[in-house]
Amino acid sequence: MAADTIDLDLTLRWPEFTLQVAQSLPGRGVTALFGHSGSGKTTLLRCVAGLERPQGTLRFKGRTWQDAGSFVPPHRRPLGYVFQDANLFPHLSVLGNLRYGMKRAGRGSADISAIVELLGIGHLLERKPARLSGGERQRVGIARALALQPELLLMDEPLSALDIKRKQEILPYLERLHNELDIPILYVTHAPAEVLRLADHVVMMGGGQVQASLPLREAVALPGTPLFAGQSHVAVIQARADEASEGLRLLQVAGQTLRVPEDACSSCQPGKTLRLQLAARDVSISLLHLPEVSINNQLQVRVVDIAPAAHPVNVLVRLELGDGQLLFAEITRASRERLELHPGMLVWALVKAVALAGDLAA
Amino acid sequence: MSLLLTAEDWQTIGLTIKLAGTVTLCLFVIGTPIAWWLGRTTSRLKGPIGAVVALPLVLPPSVLGFYLLLAMGPYGFIGHFTNWLGVHPLPFTFWGLVVASVFYSLPFMVQPLQNAFEAIGDKPLEAAATLRAAPWDAFFSVALPMALPGFLTGGILTFAHTVGEFGVVLMIGGNLPGETRVASVQIYDHVEAMEYAGAHRLSAVMLVFSFLVLLGLYAWRPNPKKA
Amino acid sequence: MFKRCQHLLIGAALALGMSVAHAEKVTIAAAADLKYAMADVAQAFEKTHPDDKLDIVYGSSGKALTQIQQGAPYDLYFSADIDYPRELEKAGLVVGKITPYAFGRIVLWSTTLDASKMTLQSLASPDIKHIAIANPKHAPYGMRAVEAIKAAGVWDKVEPKLVYAETVPHAAQLVESGNAQVAVLSLSLVLNPQIASKGKYWLIPDRLHQPLEQAYAITKHGEHNAAAKAFAQYMAQPEARAIMQRYGFVLPGELK
Repeated sequence: MAADTIDLDLTLRWPEFTLQVAQSLPGRGVTALFGHSGSGKTTLLRCVAGLERPQGTLRFKGRTWQDAGSFVPPHRRPLGYVFQDANLFPHLSVLGNLRYGMKRAGRGSADISAIVELLGIGHLLERKPARLSGGERQRVGIARALALQPELLLMDEPLSALDIKRKQEILPYLERLHNELDIPILYVTHAPAEVLRLADHVVMMGGGQVQASLPLREAVALPGTPLFAGQSHVAVIQARADEASEGLRLLQVAGQTLRVPEDACSSCQPGKTLRLQLAARDVSISLLHLPEVSINNQLQVRVVDIAPAAHPVNVLVRLELGDGQLLFAEITRASRERLELHPGMLVWALVKAVALAGDLAA
Repeated sequence: MSLLLTAEDWQTIGLTIKLAGTVTLCLFVIGTPIAWWLGRTTSRLKGPIGAVVALPLVLPPSVLGFYLLLAMGPYGFIGHFTNWLGVHPLPFTFWGLVVASVFYSLPFMVQPLQNAFEAIGDKPLEAAATLRAAPWDAFFSVALPMALPGFLTGGILTFAHTVGEFGVVLMIGGNLPGETRVASVQIYDHVEAMEYAGAHRLSAVMLVFSFLVLLGLYAWRPNPKKA
Repeated sequence: MFKRCQHLLIGAALALGMSVAHAEKVTIAAAADLKYAMADVAQAFEKTHPDDKLDIVYGSSGKALTQIQQGAPYDLYFSADIDYPRELEKAGLVVGKITPYAFGRIVLWSTTLDASKMTLQSLASPDIKHIAIANPKHAPYGMRAVEAIKAAGVWDKVEPKLVYAETVPHAAQLVESGNAQVAVLSLSLVLNPQIASKGKYWLIPDRLHQPLEQAYAITKHGEHNAAAKAFAQYMAQPEARAIMQRYGFVLPGELK
């Protein structure tokens, strides 16, 4: 039990549901609490916040928030909470909402211009919540929690109430948050896409229990991982942005080069580390390097293992880059037999599309 | 205007306003905690207590007045209590009317407040807690402002209901000028004495006054459609 | 229009009644405090006149007056105050003579003190905190109470202690519940079996107040109602008078 972790040993019994979690969560970075609705992830978050009273112990970086003899109420825990539907106070303006917690946290006159700018709500300060769009409300909700300078940020499915357009709008803000803040974030979601874009650590939950608690790298590699239930596996790899030429941006990964359209990566400065998502269905395997093919991106990799894919006619091939990072390729069994693929082989991964998922602090 | 009604009539109007105002203020203080509990509790007592609070709605006022008269007298439990406190007995006094009216108008204050508190739900108060607000703080800074329309409705209904109160006052007031002779009783006495003109005049003045008060309050209510 | 319908209906009923047998129905408006006395008198009358049916409506004499003026179908009117039938007479709504049935008397009454040993002067005593009377503004018994207290010379001391009830029974209620120590009630009320057992009374001398003449009359509506006439005559008979006296409705010269 290090002084840098969040240690939970909690049991909450309701008539139709029991939450039972004994885990030590990282005290930094984004930890995703991932699972379907009813898995207990939001309940767990609320327990950490003190909005529910389970039995057991809860320690935040060595400080006891709950044990058999004591319970620190939510208003005395140095946390910030972002609700699923923003939950702004309707009788206060945006600025009033922001200042509400600040006043009580002894930061009544602090300068919040950085947060306001980070979330792009400067032009909304005088408005009442009723006159904000869903996305704007959510950003205000995040700002309100941050304005307290919490030591822990809890986010309960902050994007699930928004449509795709708004989600895309806010994700960059969340990524920026992640990069610019040094505080741990517990992020509840049921959307794999958000996990892939934001999480450093994943806690997978089901039926009120923790099924797995892993760093993201391992979570995506887990065979049959619930992150990809029914969908194509996605590999998440780090790459370094390089110069741009002829409308293409170069990305260096494991000593090799990927090319993406320059405008697909508007914030890619040379030297910046990026997080890339590569879907297994977008990766093909060739035994040879193919210069005469339209696919620009070809990476030399080694076959690690081959497992059945979700679709019975396919297999999932795990490929390793020179620096240890993993890729997936989903191909037909027939192709696998034809190429006589086996673990240890050196092959080429042909990458047709690369999803760029914003910035990632190193 | 002062020639329109007798001095006695004007006195009854003043007393009526004083009674309605006092009762409304008392019920703001008494009704709020009751409404808060009813609006948020999951206890099994919620139903029975809610029903007790609603009783004055269905009891004929003269029945309520009759039992209050007994209870406040020297043989009743309220009478024993005032005796024990060393306070003047309640029947035939202004404060006796206030106490009786508080019972009689209780649901008119509690029910709108309860609805308002229920409508708030848990979420805003949880938000307040995560923003470092202790429970009392959250109540005054979040729940009260959000429930303001409920307070307005409760206040209007209580005030109006007390102005119109008759049966209870009749039973326990003793009809003392300046003390318990409110306008509703005065109008009744005019009719009983067959002074119909006097009854018409006083009724008309009460009607106009009440209408203006209600108009003012209703026009002032925050419109939920305006941002 | 409604009144006309009422008349039609009652007229039809009466006609029907008349056609069935020679039975007649009489509708009577009676002062509230006559309840027990009239019931007994009516019972006695119906024994000797088995074909006639009496329908008695009890209530405030003032209200009954207003109703009769508006055409209510009462055949007989028993009023607690003779001024009301006189009003009707002025309007030509009375048939025959207005006949007194009692001169109202007022009494002091208490459940906690022995009122039979009191006088009006006793009301000034500091032991008595509240005295209940009927509202003198509109109740004749209340007016007489005020007159008697003034005539006894104790008005200044007693007036601040007065509380006003709407009716005489209400005043009795204020004493029963313990909120007032003494009430000024009507003699007929304290002789009422419900009240009599609860306390003692003292008869206030009738020279201290204006007389409370209580009288009855046949209304225009009952002009041709033979049974109404029969009952009006019966009221003056010794049997009826005996019943009335028992309940405290006494005429001068009958007093015990």
